[in-house]
Amino acid sequence: MSINSDNSNRRGGNPLFLSTRYVIQQHAPDQDVEATITAQSFQTVRLTFFISACVTTTTQQTIKIAAPSDKNKALAAKKAALKGVNGQKARKIRTSTTFNRPKTLKLARSPKYARKSVPHVPRLDQYKVLKTPLNTESAMKKIEENNTLVFIVDVKSNKRQIKDALKKMYDVTALKVNTLIRPDGNKKAYIKLTADVDALDVANKIGFI
Amino acid sequence: MERREERELAAVKAYELRTKNKAELTKQLEELKQELASLKVQKVAGGSAGKLTKISAVRKSIARVMTVITQTQRAQLRLFYQKKNFLPLDLRVKKTRAIRRRLTKHEASVKTVKQQKKDTHFPLRKYAVKA
Repeated sequence: MSINSDNSNRRGGNPLFLSTRYVIQQHAPDQDVEATITAQSFQTVRLTFFISACVTTTTQQTIKIAAPSDKNKALAAKKAALKGVNGQKARKIRTSTTFNRPKTLKLARSPKYARKSVPHVPRLDQYKVLKTPLNTESAMKKIEENNTLVFIVDVKSNKRQIKDALKKMYDVTALKVNTLIRPDGNKKAYIKLTADVDALDVANKIGFI
Repeated sequence: MERREERELAAVKAYELRTKNKAELTKQLEELKQELASLKVQKVAGGSAGKLTKISAVRKSIARVMTVITQTQRAQLRLFYQKKNFLPLDLRVKKTRAIRRRLTKHEASVKTVKQQKKDTHFPLRKYAVKA
């Protein structure tokens, strides 16, 4: 016994959910009862349960639910034909008239070998920054009157490096540093010391008085 | 400071340096640089002749220490990269740019099988004319 949904006289509407007339066919006995419920037809499901309740355990007959009819197939085919072969992607909604370059993946470097075998030791260390102190008459004047030391420093050094170098070499904090480049190409640094240290003492300690 | 100068050798010797490890070498380098800085200050302040000649000795000692440091470092690096595929560029052969781009000796000597057969069967013969 199989249940076929007869949709031949149907008028419009969703073919899946209209009430349909069911044709019941007799199958051979001695076959297992199986009620296959498809997701399509709710009506068919209800009918299946009704039938299975009537069928006793002795009668062993299959109950099958019908496949979608030819008319459904034809409608699906028409829809596909209208859509076309390529199909259509959903278009992005653009809320601004500006087009900005899309952000792509940026991989970090992972080199197979180091280009330089070993990084160089720092080239401008404190010994290189401060070359020599100056003890000319004008430099001595600066030491006594302005509490500043005068040094010849490396041309490539900057005021911050001069300050650090002084700290490292002679353990003296500088208040401020003024630099100029002499006509002979060296850099001269006027290093003003903090008020708690005496430039004359420091100069004696360094040894160039 | 003068006592320290007396304690130190007139000049460091390279073969003595090679026995030392890296920490000791860097410490010696620091000491030498400090000595050089003090000598330069004394030069400004009008140091004695002995002190002034010492300057060149100290400069060369610094150079020797740095040479030993880099030599041992590069030797160790070459050992490290021995099993690897790619060498850092400064450890590779330098020569000249053109020489680096030439075919290697092996690449230049490679022959086709056809040519090898020809050479086997038709080698260049040496003749002599009987007097």
